Amino acid sequence: MPEKIKGYMGEQLRISLNDKSYKIEKIDTKVLRDYLGGAGYAARVLYDEIPKGTDPLSPENKLMFTTSPLTANRIPGGGSIMLCFKSPQTNAWGESRCGGDFGPDLKKAGYDFLVIEGKSAEPVYLVINDDKIEFRSATGLMGKTVNEKLKIIRKELSDPKISVMCIGPAGEKLVKIATVMFEHRAAGRCGAGAVMGSKNLIGIAVKGSHKTPMAQPAKLTETIKTCLKILKESDFSTNLKKHGTTGDMAANDAAGDWPTKNWHANSWGKAEQIYHQFYNKHLVKNHGCYTGCPIACGRISEVKEGRFKTPAHEGSEYESLSAFTAFVLNENIEAAIQATYLCNEFGIDTISAGAIIAFAMECYENGILKKEEVGDIDLTWGNPAVLPELVRMISLREGIGDTLAEGVKIASERLGRGSEKYAIHGKGLEAPAHDPRSGKVLGVAYGTANRGMCHIHPLEGMAYDSGKMDWGLVKYGVPDPNTIDRWDEKGKGKIVKILQDGLILPDILNTCKFFMYAGIHIDHLAQLLSAVTGWKIDGQELLKIGERVMNLQRLFNMREGFHREDDLLPERMKQKPAFGFYENEDRCAIKDFEGMLDEYYQARSWDSKTGIPLKEKLLELALDE
Amino acid sequence: MKIKIKLYTILEKYAKGKVLKDNTIILPKATTLQGLSHCLNIPDKIGKVYLVNDLPQSKEYRLREGDEVKIFSFIGGG
Repeated sequence: MPEKIKGYMGEQLRISLNDKSYKIEKIDTKVLRDYLGGAGYAARVLYDEIPKGTDPLSPENKLMFTTSPLTANRIPGGGSIMLCFKSPQTNAWGESRCGGDFGPDLKKAGYDFLVIEGKSAEPVYLVINDDKIEFRSATGLMGKTVNEKLKIIRKELSDPKISVMCIGPAGEKLVKIATVMFEHRAAGRCGAGAVMGSKNLIGIAVKGSHKTPMAQPAKLTETIKTCLKILKESDFSTNLKKHGTTGDMAANDAAGDWPTKNWHANSWGKAEQIYHQFYNKHLVKNHGCYTGCPIACGRISEVKEGRFKTPAHEGSEYESLSAFTAFVLNENIEAAIQATYLCNEFGIDTISAGAIIAFAMECYENGILKKEEVGDIDLTWGNPAVLPELVRMISLREGIGDTLAEGVKIASERLGRGSEKYAIHGKGLEAPAHDPRSGKVLGVAYGTANRGMCHIHPLEGMAYDSGKMDWGLVKYGVPDPNTIDRWDEKGKGKIVKILQDGLILPDILNTCKFFMYAGIHIDHLAQLLSAVTGWKIDGQELLKIGERVMNLQRLFNMREGFHREDDLLPERMKQKPAFGFYENEDRCAIKDFEGMLDEYYQARSWDSKTGIPLKEKLLELALDE
Repeated sequence: MKIKIKLYTILEKYAKGKVLKDNTIILPKATTLQGLSHCLNIPDKIGKVYLVNDLPQSKEYRLREGDEVKIFSFIGGG
């Protein structure tokens, strides 16, 4: 029997949907020390277990729900779950985090990781209650919205509080941008919901009675106290509570970090007034995604009356509202709130949905999509009425929604007629609401991100270049951001390497990234991890693990055929903005992306022509199998 | 000289005791945006973006009577 490490439950639950069986497996402790948990541990498992060329929507793909030693309600930022899989949007590494109590509750049930394999012959949902594992018919859940499913599952289980993650109707229909939801929180990006739907797995309910063993309880309590003090004194923490992520809309617009009209521009000049309406008229209160969150940045909002009347719900975050305003040139915040709400109810990703609608609007403007092809709806830029309607059509694959449900990359390949240049994505994932024409670090981060152009990994781009945040990484080699000009290109490749190695750690440890913005840095994570596990682990070792995981995810992608030519930015993203605060400004343009990439590859010890990690780097990271 | 000023999110607190009720501030002639930030005691290390009369300007920009200044920083959400 392998030795059990404190902080872990020591077991993973492997579910085979083919025959509705399960196995409880002991976890290799050496793997835990090298990869910790979350997207790190999953990278090791999925690299080893998913064969090259696997169809992401076939039974051979695997879907993992992962926790870490820091997954616990009492640990600051410890309430989330990381889903990992091969993405049907990108055919590459896929991961998606979701805030909420599901992660802590999975550990209470006795499992660090959940591996879902195969495909059920009929729709089912899974119930995990300690070592009692049950497969229940989900026939009655089909076609129901997320909220309806949640209510039915809890009623069937006679447990109004049990943690449930489920897909919406979009996941059932294998919409490529489908999410897996925890109430109104989403594992949103990369199509986890389509993978779950392809397995005929509609939901998972979990509860348990175990306690996670801690190595040094007193030291842990002391470290938690230190972290809470930092959070209490942090302006970022206070403002995340007051304004949420939406509070950055006006600042990002002013900084040229607010992609507008399908990336024609990096600002619009309308964010201040749009946010003002949201904050003063529609924001109900803040809300924590998991029980005990000391920040609680979530937004509960509503539209009380009118054409876009929407009940109070959680979901209007920076990315969602930006996707349904700036992306599509819509000034009507009420339509944006309703579209966001519907995305969560149908179970599709708000960022991709807004980006897809922007793509469709540009195709419509240029005659690639004709009125009769889109069901006589008016896809003119900024038409608010079309937003909720298209969200529904994409989610249910109705009419043109069936093509758009594939995401912009595949949709543009199907439509042809020159639509490819309007499809703004990285590796197949639609770009989020941050713009590398505001700071060049983001350009390299976008181009090289393993899961494609996402809003989590490259978050550090704009926050470093414009926000001048360093997350305690200066001592590990990142230049002081105050000595860096955000418009410069030279030097940015090297910076991105260290930022990525550091800021992948919240994805490996399943801790909320916003806590890092509020002052919980790499060294604090190392202290928490040491107290929980009893390992002597420091920030330097964490960075090395971050680098190992970055490289292993990279290897996963390279095995699927990705190369240097896939580390790219869409042409429009490199050009001078067409309008806005920075109209036609030369400093916004990205002039030598290839040069930045060369520098980045050199810092990473990757082959400059192919982008493959060099043998000595793999040896150094113990990835030389 | 008198200029109009607005501070956002994490910078709002720096208005206290410096910015008048009508959202104006009195400054010596030709004060730069960096000088304005120092006057408001906004730490240098905080990232800032300036708009003057709705145009982006660098910290070296010299203010003029009647300018309308907006100073933004970032909470850091995504």
